[in-house]
Amino acid sequence: MAKSSSRTGDDRNKQKKNKKKKNKSGPDAVAMKVKAPKDNPFETIWSRRKFDILGKKRKGEERRVGLARSRAIEKRKKTLLKEYEQSGKASVFVDKRIGEQNEELDEFGKAILRSQRERQLKLNNKSKYNLSDGEDDDFEGLNIQGKDDFEDEIFPDDDGAEAAETEKELTTVQHLNSQIPSEISMEGDENKHKSKKEVMEEIILKSKFFKAQKAKEKEENEHLVEELDKNFTSLVQSKALLSLTEPSKMNALKALVNRNIPNEHSNKENLSAIQKMDNSEKEKPDVYDRLVKEMILERRARPSDRTKTPEEIAQEERERLERLEEERQKRMNASEGSSDEDEEDVEKPPKEKPRFLSGDDLGDSFSVSEETVTMKGWIDEILEKNDEEDAASEDVSTDDSEGSEDADEGSDEDLDEHGKDLSLRDWEQSDDENIGTDLEDEEGEEDSDDDEQKNTAAKKHDKVNDKKAVETIIKEKDSSGAKIDVGGKQLSTKLEDIPYLIEAPKTYEELCALLVNRSNSDVIIIINRIRASNAIKLAAENRKKMQVFYGVLLQYFAVLANKKPLNFELLNMLVKPLIEMSIEIPYFAAICARQRVLRTRTQFVGSIKNPESCFWPSSKTLFLLRLWSMIFPCSDFRHPVMTPVILLICEYLMRCPVVSGRDIAVGSFLCSMLLSILKQSRKFCPEAIMFLRTLLMAATESKSISSEDSEFYHLMELKALKPLLCIRETVNNIIPLNFYKIIDMPEDSSFFTSDSFRASVLVAVLETLRGYINIYESLSSFPEIFLPVLRLLDEVAEQKNTPNLLRDKIKEVAEFIKLKVDEHHTLRRPLQMRKQKPVPIKLLNPKFEENFVKGRDYDPDRERAEMKKLQKLVKRERKGAARELRKDNYFLFEVKERQRALEEEERAEKFGKARAFLQEQENAFKSGQLGKGRKRRR
Amino acid sequence: MTRPHGVKGRKRKKAEERYDRDEEEEEAQPMEGEAAKRATLENSNSDKEAEPVEETAVDELEGIPIAPSNQKSDNSKVIFILERASLEVGKVGKSYQLLNSDDHSNFLRKNNKNPADYRPDIVHQALLMILDSPLNKAGRLQAVYVKTEKGILFEVKPHVRIPRTFKRFAGVMLQLLQKLSITAVGKREKLLRVIKNPVTQYLPVGSRKIGLSYSSQKLVDMQDYMTTVPSDLDLVFVVGALAHGKVETDYTEDFIAISGYPLSAAYCITRICNAIERKWKIS
Repeated sequence: MAKSSSRTGDDRNKQKKNKKKKNKSGPDAVAMKVKAPKDNPFETIWSRRKFDILGKKRKGEERRVGLARSRAIEKRKKTLLKEYEQSGKASVFVDKRIGEQNEELDEFGKAILRSQRERQLKLNNKSKYNLSDGEDDDFEGLNIQGKDDFEDEIFPDDDGAEAAETEKELTTVQHLNSQIPSEISMEGDENKHKSKKEVMEEIILKSKFFKAQKAKEKEENEHLVEELDKNFTSLVQSKALLSLTEPSKMNALKALVNRNIPNEHSNKENLSAIQKMDNSEKEKPDVYDRLVKEMILERRARPSDRTKTPEEIAQEERERLERLEEERQKRMNASEGSSDEDEEDVEKPPKEKPRFLSGDDLGDSFSVSEETVTMKGWIDEILEKNDEEDAASEDVSTDDSEGSEDADEGSDEDLDEHGKDLSLRDWEQSDDENIGTDLEDEEGEEDSDDDEQKNTAAKKHDKVNDKKAVETIIKEKDSSGAKIDVGGKQLSTKLEDIPYLIEAPKTYEELCALLVNRSNSDVIIIINRIRASNAIKLAAENRKKMQVFYGVLLQYFAVLANKKPLNFELLNMLVKPLIEMSIEIPYFAAICARQRVLRTRTQFVGSIKNPESCFWPSSKTLFLLRLWSMIFPCSDFRHPVMTPVILLICEYLMRCPVVSGRDIAVGSFLCSMLLSILKQSRKFCPEAIMFLRTLLMAATESKSISSEDSEFYHLMELKALKPLLCIRETVNNIIPLNFYKIIDMPEDSSFFTSDSFRASVLVAVLETLRGYINIYESLSSFPEIFLPVLRLLDEVAEQKNTPNLLRDKIKEVAEFIKLKVDEHHTLRRPLQMRKQKPVPIKLLNPKFEENFVKGRDYDPDRERAEMKKLQKLVKRERKGAARELRKDNYFLFEVKERQRALEEEERAEKFGKARAFLQEQENAFKSGQLGKGRKRRR
Repeated sequence: MTRPHGVKGRKRKKAEERYDRDEEEEEAQPMEGEAAKRATLENSNSDKEAEPVEETAVDELEGIPIAPSNQKSDNSKVIFILERASLEVGKVGKSYQLLNSDDHSNFLRKNNKNPADYRPDIVHQALLMILDSPLNKAGRLQAVYVKTEKGILFEVKPHVRIPRTFKRFAGVMLQLLQKLSITAVGKREKLLRVIKNPVTQYLPVGSRKIGLSYSSQKLVDMQDYMTTVPSDLDLVFVVGALAHGKVETDYTEDFIAISGYPLSAAYCITRICNAIERKWKIS
């Protein structure tokens, strides 16, 4: 309650705020309340707010319950009570006097209303013919008439006179003032009734006025322009502008100015001087202008050559080779006997100069100088070629007659860079090989590509090993190069040139015939030319040719790999074309590989039956396996070639008994190859690990076979395990193995029994093992796989003859295994009962509307919602009506009650009176008197 | 106001509409009975139902038997009361909105209110923490009562999925405070509803009522404290969901602080839940 009362106070204040602000203090509020006219204490009770919502302004806030009730009662008194009072009556007095209904009017207002009404009545038609019967009427009529006449006649006249006057003014005075428009507008205001003539005149006037204004403006403009011109000329003649603008343009400006004011002669000397100066500079056109002109003449855009399709490139390559072949043929035919001479002739033009010199000189060290000269000529030509690229076509036409060399160059220009390189090389080849060093460099470059492949092939070796291998190869190369150099002059005459267009050989014999007695680089060049001239993209039948050629090449590769002095360099170089070709004909390559794998496997199975023969794969097989692992994707889950290859390798590792040192080397090489194959896919090959284990076991002295080991032997087919790798004596330094050398070595070489070999094999084994550990570290069975290996490693490390370096390595690997094993052990979880997951209670989503508004029906069925709304309305109305009726009844009842009470009272009074009278009478009668009155009257 | 549409079920009688203790107990009784029935049903069905569900798992772990889940049907429950939650509806512009300090700071300043006091997000986080806890998932939460700063008390049923985003939460609260109840989607069950004060009439008899406040002198370790409470006792935790100040309630028997630092309501609740889960072995 206290809350509500305080609020009422506040509200009241708010209401009064309009008149008097900031009178919130207590005494003032009280005073105001006192001041209020008459306060029904019930009317001061305000409705109370239940939920105060911030920011809401409620409509019914100012409603006062008590006040409303008293108002309702008042209303009823006016309406219902009246009706009730009238209800018992047959007739009613109705007050129809004017203004009687309106309570706001006072007596005077009512009187005015009445008089107005009276006048209206008089103005009616009926009253027109009535005779006037008073003064008032007369006066009124006159007044009205007088007014009317005055307005009708006099005002227009005045207006017309004024218009005429202005007209005169306008016509006489041509120059116009600013007043006139305003006057016109003023006239426009009173434009209501004007004659036609006046209107026309006005229009004419206006047009004249505008014409005059236009003329004046024009005059002013001319004046302004003149002034500007004057200013400009003065500016031009001043030196400020001269310093700012270019002289050539200044001249034009001057010319302009001069034309404008021809009779102005001021500063003539100065002007002429400038003109002179300008004339000298006039010849040189403006840089900008020149640029613009050039740009106009320039072509917008040039279409570039379209990028060539592979077919076109192949076609071009073939064409180039054809042309080269032609040239070669021509050369061959022209000077049949001495191709050397021919070439000398060709080289003459560049050589001629040094010839002269040398001719003047003495003939000592002739050959040397010649050689150097030729070298120089080489380089020069190349340089020249680079310079003269622009004029290539011209060169071709002119140099054709000179010699084939230059023509070669010319034709080269057409081709792209790659082609150029190739041509360069080709040309070198076509030249006889007396420039050995050059050639060697070229080879070296070529080999650098292949080196990588070589590296992968020799994965099992360390980097050191690799380096060494490369070194050895280079040495070999050097020696071979030297050989060629030495025998160059003799050979060159014998060797026929390599033809540019070579038909793909159909059989192995053909290929051999082609490649016989060729150097390594020549072989590659021949193969490349065969490929280029029979490119698959050139013709459809070439595919078949290439397939045949691929098979033949593969055979060549295989045979080459089986040769005893291993031509490793050539093998390496052959890998590249083989890979490229198998990309071109993948299906055929796969079929070839599969067939070979199958054959190898059958051979192996056959050979393993008799225990005498050597089971381990030959170098041919090894090289082929390596080649396939490079050609085909190793990481596929199932691959038509690689899967059998892996299986084959595994079988070798599993079934071949280790008898000699060479077997160990081959086996460890197979292991490392398998590692490189499995590296990506991380497939698990137990055979490799088993093999590594046996090798490690071979390195231990003790022959105690534990139960675990016996089980392991059961798995392996090898029975007699000699301590082949057991190091007997101390080895000082461990030399990395060169596998190619080992392959070449005979089986019973003493190297295989040496301790250094054993140490280096062990190093290789450790490295491979480490690789496998890296691959399989994520397997959950890692500890089970590698723990036996760990024990073996420890044993090997404990042996007294083990070199320190090896021991360190073993320790390292052992530590690595331990670490991983521990990791796995910690991650393992004990076997557990599976638990049923507890079932959570089911959750329910609350239903709510976004931007909920109270009172809105969120029924999706609009019709139903509408109906409900109407029903609600009806119900409310009905309730309201019932309430009103009830209140009416109360009211009427009260009224009746009051009346009844009144009547009752009256009746009671009357009754009392009568009774009193009767009592008095009786009293008088009984007392014997006949009453006071009578007595008194008497 | 109007009843939600769709399902025209049995009408709630006038007598039932009175939300008092008797009815509460009445309601609780069938619930328990139902739960027991469901439990027995589950036990009987466990063999049938479990197998098809577990079939995929069986492939991997063959032969490992499935242990029955050790969900004991303890009767003791937890009630959370969030006191002095600042949930207030205001008419901002033309629409009604749940007032928060971010969006309505200007509006609140205009109305001479401190925006820092309007933090409905505290209630949101606290409710999420309570209803997401394994304690609730295990069915050990009886109810959450929230009393707003204005004195409006409402009940949150434990199986409500409170909207995760604050905006939607604000929508729910807005509707609740205007409509006085929120039903479930597609059901007539009331998930949230405004109820009569005081809150004590809804708390089970003999429950331990614990108030939490940073200002309390009694700093305890929640884990240790829970060991002192008998395990068959119903627990009532009174947590303040207000930014500044402290809760003052006359019905709490104990008044503790569980950290030397002033904790947020949500974190305080997680701590309590953790302790109870440990005690009741709900994992």
